[in-house]
Amino acid sequence: MTESALAAQLGSIVGDRFVLRRQTDLLVYNSDGLPGYRRMPRLAVFPGDRDEAVAVVRALAADGTPFVPRGAGTGLSGGALADDVVLLGMHRLKRVISIDRENQRAVVEPGVVNLALNRTVAPLGLIYAPDPSSEAACTIGGNVAENAGGPHCLKYGVTLNHILAITAILPDGEIVQLGNAEGERRGYDLLGAFIGSEGCFGVALDITVKLTPKPAAVRTMLADFISVDEAARVTSAIIASGIVPAALEFMDGATIRVVEASVYAAGYPADAEAILLIELDGLVAGVDADRDTVRRICEEGGARTVRVAQNDAERLRLWQGRKKAFGAMGRLAPHLVVQDAVIPRTRLAEILARIRVIAEANRVEVCNVFHAGDGNLHPNIPYNADDPDESGRVHTAMGQIMRACVDAGGSITGEHGVGLDKLGYIDLIFSPDSLAAMCSLREVFDPERRANPGKVVPIHSCKEWIGTPASRRSQAVAASR
Amino acid sequence: MDRHACITTLAGGSGVAMSVQEIQRLVREAGAAGTPLRISGRAHWMDAGRPVHAGRIATLATHTGVADYVPGDLTITVRSGTTLRELARITAKEGQYLPLDPHGSEDGTIGATVATGSFGPLAHGFGGIRDLILGAEFVTGVGSVVRGGGRVVKNVAGFDLVRMITGSWGTLGIVTEVTLRLYSLPPNPATIAVRVPDERRLGERIAAILAAPAVPHAVELVDSATARHCGLAPRTAILIHLGGNTASVAAQLQAFASLGAVEVPTSIWSRFRIADDGAAAVIRLSVLPARIAELWNNTRNVLAATEGAMTQASAGLGIVRCILPAPAAASAELLSRLISSTERCTVIPERLPAAAWTSLAPTFVSDRLSLGIKRAFDPSGILNPGILGAMA
Repeated sequence: MTESALAAQLGSIVGDRFVLRRQTDLLVYNSDGLPGYRRMPRLAVFPGDRDEAVAVVRALAADGTPFVPRGAGTGLSGGALADDVVLLGMHRLKRVISIDRENQRAVVEPGVVNLALNRTVAPLGLIYAPDPSSEAACTIGGNVAENAGGPHCLKYGVTLNHILAITAILPDGEIVQLGNAEGERRGYDLLGAFIGSEGCFGVALDITVKLTPKPAAVRTMLADFISVDEAARVTSAIIASGIVPAALEFMDGATIRVVEASVYAAGYPADAEAILLIELDGLVAGVDADRDTVRRICEEGGARTVRVAQNDAERLRLWQGRKKAFGAMGRLAPHLVVQDAVIPRTRLAEILARIRVIAEANRVEVCNVFHAGDGNLHPNIPYNADDPDESGRVHTAMGQIMRACVDAGGSITGEHGVGLDKLGYIDLIFSPDSLAAMCSLREVFDPERRANPGKVVPIHSCKEWIGTPASRRSQAVAASR
Repeated sequence: MDRHACITTLAGGSGVAMSVQEIQRLVREAGAAGTPLRISGRAHWMDAGRPVHAGRIATLATHTGVADYVPGDLTITVRSGTTLRELARITAKEGQYLPLDPHGSEDGTIGATVATGSFGPLAHGFGGIRDLILGAEFVTGVGSVVRGGGRVVKNVAGFDLVRMITGSWGTLGIVTEVTLRLYSLPPNPATIAVRVPDERRLGERIAAILAAPAVPHAVELVDSATARHCGLAPRTAILIHLGGNTASVAAQLQAFASLGAVEVPTSIWSRFRIADDGAAAVIRLSVLPARIAELWNNTRNVLAATEGAMTQASAGLGIVRCILPAPAAASAELLSRLISSTERCTVIPERLPAAAWTSLAPTFVSDRLSLGIKRAFDPSGILNPGILGAMA
């Protein structure tokens, strides 16, 4: 179908004003939260309800048109970029369909914003636990696609652990029920396979999420250090003690100073070389005992001061600095690369030292702000993408950091997904046979590979793909370019 | 075929212990010859699932041991033939444990636990194996050795082969190694029993327990037969396991004191786990958690006159587990009444007489996606054929 015929057909489903074709209109959809990657969609379509979403996916299927599902576009892996294919924006499907307080669950449409869901259920004494730093904008559908994490996933688990069932439309237009909203799951874990499939397996139409009782007591602590090394060792010691904090976040000196200079200033000591933001929650009695243990570990490990937030306002302020740190880095340079590697938690001090050496050798500045309790690093490098020399050095440094993390027994991504950004690294951690197995799993959901083409697993890893006709192959290569 | 006949069939095969490379070779040979394989750990839970007719056994019994354990990371990587008992012993030396207590003997293997997606009372507090497994290596039906996940606690790299293999009952691959998330052993765990004086008000009782200022690791409702089996007074009771730090456990004990809770030995749980030993049928029924009392009462009514039956429920999860001795399990009529006693109820048989599998239990794997996955991972259908039902 020609582009204008396709646009007309999609317009007849969703209304012409919800189909974008002009380059100027599409410009805002040419990147996600990682502005280093830009890809221009062929056109963008925004269904307004479930029926429209189903009709759009079926129209695309009938036409054999590849598409990329997108939530709020806050992802940090280039995963929601549509490279000359159709962008399917799901953010208008934002109804909370039902809340079941007694059974602690809710059914939501994929475009519901994470924080909006939390605000809706808060009066019932419930929370939706996964809390990505982009919670104010990111959608539950996007969280499902990326298997999103967040600071509190240390204790509560990631998105996978909080989804009970999903109604999804497969790329060919078939609607399937994954999981079981009313009892135990049976048979293969299709729900588990779908969560974190980065939009390659289909599009969620409704999502049954598990809600968690709000903890009775919360203690938020700030420990500051004059040595990155000491803060890293204290993190390892807290984890090794067996206490599972609700969150255990790390920010280095460079990050502290940029946050403190910004509108998100949280009152962090600006002369510190590292801070740990530690949150404990649970029963009042238990939480205070853990607080005392954590305080002792921090002090014995060299913390200069350990401060416990005295009220909610102070607690929220401490968190704001952490959650807005990426935004604050906009003060340093126009562009930012964000990594997401995970390492064993006993190796933190060693890998942070290694990252320092890599940064110096490549003359780049690394700001570390990350989920230390999970070993989920976020080394960020602010830079100017228009400077080819600097871009080259940043790219080299990022590659070296990734290899150091993998060599330590880690993973290339803890919560942001592979998308486009880590496509080149995935064969560092998976064998050709493992990647081929992942390809075959994808083919079950999307035999034509039309959903989010060219992401997650590189095409050359898909053995079967090599055997397909050259015409189809070149189409796929074009789509993944 | 009953469970004993099933085991006899297995004993008639040629059991061999193997390395990953040998398992790979065996699978390839079996694929080439079209010989179905029965996958076995230590052959402790072979009566679970539908009967499998296989020409050879791939046993992981000697594929044991720790591949990697750094206690400070609270993760462990073990080969799949390692028993749950051995895993508990190794981790306890470091003050840690895998908070997973599947029903059945502790001499079952971690590989079998992963393959069957088994769980026990601790699922209330920690989720199931799906929530605790970080990485897995397995040999697919075409003899490829593949890995999903990794050894770190958070990981979204690639499509999720770990969730795919977990609970797939060996039909997609032979699990050879797994990485697990560990927790610290609570210093002063405690178990309490709360009586249910009036079963007509069971729902309120459970709701009160779940709403108490506590974070129980397990909440199991047991009938009098199960209570007796556990060495407790033979009456309906709710068993609650508490962990956390010492101050937390003390506060929780106090919170339950007003419900008339009495402390019982924590050793009751090892008795509880083997309550189904020798049973002819074990069936799990599940509903929305708030309907647990309705489901409990319905199943209890069906089983009221059944001698030797036991009923248990993971109250917070909405799951009732019925254990039937041979005479009762042979009654198709009783089984039929049991599984149809409650509306909007999910039925998962763990163990049934062979005839009942055919007449009562639907095939688990029958949708297009599941069949496609089976074909992708085991195209010649040689891995545990039939254990999840006939596949197209």
